[in-house]
Amino acid sequence: MVELLPAANEEPVLCSGHAACPGCIDALSVRHVLAVMGPDTVAVVPPSCMAIIAGPQPYSSLTIPVYQPTLEASAAAASGLRRALDTQGKHATQVLVLAGDGGTCDIGFQCLSSAAERNEDMLYVCLDNEGYMNTGAQKSSSTPHYARTGSTPAGKTTRKKNLTALMAAHGVPYAATATVAHLADLRRKVAKAKSMRGMRVLTLLIPCLDGWGLRDDAGLAAARLAVDSGAFPLYEVEDGTRVTVNSAKTRPVADYLALQRRYRHVAPEQVAALQAEVDEGWERLQRQAREAV
Amino acid sequence: MNPAATGGTTAVLLTGNHAVAWAARLARPKVVPVYPITPQTPVLERLTEFQAAGEFDAEIITVESEHSVMSACIPASLAGVRVFTATASQGLLLMHEVLHYAAGARAPIVMANVNRTVASPWAFWPDQTDSLAQRDTGWVQYYVESPQEALDTVLQAFRVAEQLLLPVLVNLDAFYVSHSLEPVEVPPQELVDGYLPRFEPPHRLDPAHPESWGNVVSQDMFNRHRQAIEQAFAKVPALAAEADREWAERTGRAWGVVERYRCDGARTVVLTMGSMAGTARDAVDLLRDTGQAVGLVKLRLFRPLPVAALRAALEGVDDVVVLDRNHSPGTGGVLHQELRAALYGLPGAPRVHGRLAGVGGVNVPVPAIVRWVSDATGSEPRPESMWVR
Amino acid sequence: MNAPMTLPPPTWTTGSTVVFKTGTWRSALPLHREAPSPCREACPVGGEVAEWIGLARRGDLRGAFRVLTRHNPFPAVAGRVCHHPCESACNRSAHDEAVSICRLERHVGDHALAERWPLEAEREERSGHVAVVGGGPAGLSAAYQLRRRGWRVTLFEAGRRLGGLMASGIPSYRLSRAVLDGEIERIVALGVELRLNSPVATPEAFDALRAGHDAVFVATGAARPKRLPAIGATTPGVVDGATLLAAANGGAPLPAGERVVVVGGGSAAFDAARSLRRAGRAVTMLTLESRAQLPAQPDEVDEAIEEGVAIVDGAMLRAVHRNNGAGLRIDACRVNFTPGRERGRFEVQPLPGSDFAVDADTVVVSIGQDPELSPFAGAVEATGGLLAADEGQATPTAGVWAGGDVSSLARYVTQAVGMGERAALDIHRWLLGEPRPAALPAPVPYAAIAHWYHPQAARAASPRRGAADRLADGGEVQLGLGAAEAVAEAARCFSCGHCIACDQCVTVCPDLAVRRAAGGGYEVLADWCKGCGLCVHECPTGAMAMQEERR
Repeated sequence: MVELLPAANEEPVLCSGHAACPGCIDALSVRHVLAVMGPDTVAVVPPSCMAIIAGPQPYSSLTIPVYQPTLEASAAAASGLRRALDTQGKHATQVLVLAGDGGTCDIGFQCLSSAAERNEDMLYVCLDNEGYMNTGAQKSSSTPHYARTGSTPAGKTTRKKNLTALMAAHGVPYAATATVAHLADLRRKVAKAKSMRGMRVLTLLIPCLDGWGLRDDAGLAAARLAVDSGAFPLYEVEDGTRVTVNSAKTRPVADYLALQRRYRHVAPEQVAALQAEVDEGWERLQRQAREAV
Repeated sequence: MNPAATGGTTAVLLTGNHAVAWAARLARPKVVPVYPITPQTPVLERLTEFQAAGEFDAEIITVESEHSVMSACIPASLAGVRVFTATASQGLLLMHEVLHYAAGARAPIVMANVNRTVASPWAFWPDQTDSLAQRDTGWVQYYVESPQEALDTVLQAFRVAEQLLLPVLVNLDAFYVSHSLEPVEVPPQELVDGYLPRFEPPHRLDPAHPESWGNVVSQDMFNRHRQAIEQAFAKVPALAAEADREWAERTGRAWGVVERYRCDGARTVVLTMGSMAGTARDAVDLLRDTGQAVGLVKLRLFRPLPVAALRAALEGVDDVVVLDRNHSPGTGGVLHQELRAALYGLPGAPRVHGRLAGVGGVNVPVPAIVRWVSDATGSEPRPESMWVR
Repeated sequence: MNAPMTLPPPTWTTGSTVVFKTGTWRSALPLHREAPSPCREACPVGGEVAEWIGLARRGDLRGAFRVLTRHNPFPAVAGRVCHHPCESACNRSAHDEAVSICRLERHVGDHALAERWPLEAEREERSGHVAVVGGGPAGLSAAYQLRRRGWRVTLFEAGRRLGGLMASGIPSYRLSRAVLDGEIERIVALGVELRLNSPVATPEAFDALRAGHDAVFVATGAARPKRLPAIGATTPGVVDGATLLAAANGGAPLPAGERVVVVGGGSAAFDAARSLRRAGRAVTMLTLESRAQLPAQPDEVDEAIEEGVAIVDGAMLRAVHRNNGAGLRIDACRVNFTPGRERGRFEVQPLPGSDFAVDADTVVVSIGQDPELSPFAGAVEATGGLLAADEGQATPTAGVWAGGDVSSLARYVTQAVGMGERAALDIHRWLLGEPRPAALPAPVPYAAIAHWYHPQAARAASPRRGAADRLADGGEVQLGLGAAEAVAEAARCFSCGHCIACDQCVTVCPDLAVRRAAGGGYEVLADWCKGCGLCVHECPTGAMAMQEERR
């Protein structure tokens, strides 16, 4: 039977009235991350869809304080904020970054790498909608291979950057992937990350309705297919080495592509290439998980 | 010897950098994000030594770039915590975007900047173009002449910054000030604690009282915000003067906002900032000894430009020789051009002679200043700055 | 009022975005609305299956019993003999396997009998007297529905006992006597006046009945056995199936003869064959239909084979001869059977060179029955050998309704129960002067179920007692569900079109525009809902729909 989730009973941290698109999975994901994090949290949100969702001055859609840094500086800003809170004795207050893939993997990567190396104490959530969606869906390094974007109209010619592997290579205490379409898994991971100290990096897959070409009500279906096809496996890496896989690969990647207009143009050989990439990535993940035992 | 431990003021032989480090220690900031760059590194190293010895209780964050330094400073300050950092040249430039951000955030950060030539090409010489190129960012700017003045000004900067919620930049010339050694009076901790009130901003990032900073604004809000910044800047000269007076009462040292040296009855005045003021002092003495009516106006507060004080200081002067150790292509010397603008429309305003004297860190000896003063006095000034050696 | 307007501060927020009524963005609003489940549409009694299974799932069997008996007073009977078209329509079958609805109904029905829960009447007595003619499933169902609504009901039964074919036709190994009697007594206990041994056999008797009551429901069944054209009416050794079953079920001795051939492929034929097996006879069935085409339920066929019934399918009896010496010889041949569009219409094509013979002592003919319509001649119109009745079971004759085998070729017990209910409701409305209700909207399809929230789970196993045991003691063949099994099986129900308060709609809204309502259920906050439809798409039970808005 369907599991009853605690969401209906929670005090909301994200409020209604925000400007997210109808059906926005970014907003839905943040809603649940915030619900687990609770009110003793300060959020850092760089320019992104989330920054707009955070509301126009003087209104905020979050009931916790939010600081908006420049686009390339989220992890640095969060570091400064964290240290300041520590000097005030607010050790229980969580610092939560909610940054897009652009602000994380591209322009923001340098300071993220530095914060990871210093093992700064923050929960860094990358809201990965696989492109610079707020500025009109241009490609980011997190855009997958062959996807059409505002700056790659014939399809991106390079692969998606693997943020979780990069963070694991820094040896951070916790790096994991999740999506709100697997809500219990997401909430478990946020709760787990919340209970830890040090640099914790969660990458959430956020299907973007406008950017990917999805119906208003299809965001969760796209995320489920991403997971089920292995295009976005759910897994955790602890201390850079212990890999645990949390999802199964049960569908061909073509099923996932078929839902999205950004793949409308792909040729059969590209689909085959994508399937091979997904298979190889999955195999590698399974090997890492076996070696971790 | 540890001046702070003795409970009284002690004179210590300090470089400008170390004097800055001492001031930072005494101000008790809680968060110090910092990145090394020649010739600022002794500031950061001294602070880490203080911290390792248990004498400096602050979070020193060694981030990976100066852009990240300032990015870390702002939210720390907005959380309601005193913040300090230091940089130079390229580092300051790399922060440029975030300097604007800090001022817009009304974050009272105090930063020491060692004025060093700006690439390209690469060089490490004294030149003030780095900080002058930030003159539109909304930071209050001081220029100091000596290690003692550096220490005193960093502490005054915290007071002004926190009263007005504006960030303050304290500039010291590379090597001439940053690395030169002189006896510096280091005040005791209690004196500084009495001089700098607790930092309690009315708004802060605090989950107990949630309010957010940075949400997108309307045109009207942006316009009003800029007006508010301007209104705060309008108060700086008076508050800087007051901070200096209060400091003088406690320590006996006053630096003023605009210093007039032997200007009474002067027909020609040399006007400059930073280490050249020291050389110019000697040149004025020489000229006075030969019976020339020459004085020095040393500009300590550059931003906001204390127009009223400058006009007052230059009243009755025939010629002003502005010595610039900086270069803005197409404009010439920044101080020269700003002074011309400040004096525009003043009845009986002096002739203003702009001299690009120290660009790139070239040496400016006393005889050269004497010669420039003689050549300029009574001559017709050109609107553009002139290159002199 | 000259208070200066305070301009909003350019930095540091002071309020919440809830002031923005983003509801103005949408063009369609999601609704929580109940819709029929496909099982309900398929159910011959229109049962609210999703509702009673939901109650059973929560352990509220009494609640489930109440919902079940809104439409069907015979849950324990139906749970044994219903042909369960609900399971064929069940959306779960597209997911893994259909929910075992029939056995769940049996579980509730058996529990109700064990607990002796009475049927509940709805209201006080009304003035109005209805005659029900026939004490079989249709008549009893109509009597129940009318009586519980307060009408005075007199039930006229030609025979000694109530139950109709449920008693005389269905053997006790399929339907325990105690169960049947328990469910019948429960109806009578509501205050139905009984006239047993009271046939309405002539037109005059029928006219008197009509004159003496405000409405009449005719449910006299179909008791005239169809005859095989190949066999004469008085051929010795030939027995009609219904007579044989009545004897078996009534405890009377069965016709003599070790070897029996049963002609027919429906449930009644199988009932006859299996009853004979329990009496130790050797039984061969000749069915016109092929194995796959048999009208009997697949379980019955499997059970019959387990019990040693030999089936020759696609076979037609041509003639019965006396054998020299003892017994009979049956001449037969193989055929192709093509079913027609209606029940009872078909084509049979004998296959050349396929003649064969079977030796037997007795032939049992079980090929269906026709109703006796002579008492209604001149009073009620008949078509095709059946009384004419519309979708409300009303005949063209004012004040006369008809249902069950007398007016329909739909011969399953539960279909008769449904007809009895429809007739009663129609009589009820007619007596009160109310119009007939509108039809139900279309049921919820599988596509509307967010099936990814339902983990796969196998259907509860349907164990049977061993064939040897069954033959030895004649007890019930199918075992009931245990309590835990029943809850687990009820949990497999998608609850199509019926909200199960899982909070999924609340959980998946990016705008927090769905919340629990104070009195239960949910409300959509029109001020903020942007009409994206995620809640509708992700509803695990298809209990929401988008409604276009016009401004």
